[in-house]
Amino acid sequence: MLNPLRSESDAFRLLLYVIAVFGTIIAIIVIARAL
Amino acid sequence: MEAASVAHGGHESAHGAGEEHHGPIAANRSSRVDAPTLGMLLFIISEIMIFGAFFTAYFFIRVAQGDPWPAPGTTIPVAVAGFNTAILVSSSFTLHWAETSIKRGNRFGLRAGILSTLLLGATFLFIQINEYVHLGFAPRDSAQATIFYGLTGLHGAHVCIGLILLSFATIRSFRGHYSPEEHKGLNVPGIYWHFVDIMWIVVFTTVYVI
Repeated sequence: MLNPLRSESDAFRLLLYVIAVFGTIIAIIVIARAL
Repeated sequence: MEAASVAHGGHESAHGAGEEHHGPIAANRSSRVDAPTLGMLLFIISEIMIFGAFFTAYFFIRVAQGDPWPAPGTTIPVAVAGFNTAILVSSSFTLHWAETSIKRGNRFGLRAGILSTLLLGATFLFIQINEYVHLGFAPRDSAQATIFYGLTGLHGAHVCIGLILLSFATIRSFRGHYSPEEHKGLNVPGIYWHFVDIMWIVVFTTVYVI
């Protein structure tokens, strides 16, 4: 199970998830504003 | 004096001569998490609460109050902040490179990775300060400006703390303190640095993009 506060590797994996989620949100917002 | 020695003797006889304990009692330690990681865990939880308080103020202004963002007549440099975001995110990648390198016994990778992280973090902070200089509004100008400087400044302070921790880790890396078996001094600041990076992604999305 992912525990970002246990090790650097887990924290980095959480960062990748956050980048994926927020990257999608930002992309949706940018596309919606462009339309 | 005699009374004292009698009292002392009575105390010894009550506990037995062989069971005497000197100094403070042994600290109670968790069997699951080591002390440095537990300390960082509790610190990060408290940090999330501090950021939560600032985000509450931000959402109060935008949602409950319905004020425009940013304040009328002001602009915030989204492109510069986006570039800065890329710098900070890449610093997390170089830090992860340093960590995986030392796990494999690659000292060059460790040193190059940690030094790159330090330089990228310092660049982020420099661009942030430069952005403040050229913004054209001050924290006292409006509630939006106060929250803008509050949130980004709070994050900047965390980058500062992270850079101090990474400086120690960098010096120790160049002194050869870390090994594939023992690199806790890199692991714990690494968790903090990734947390700072995650918080910036949230701050960037809410303050600059939405």
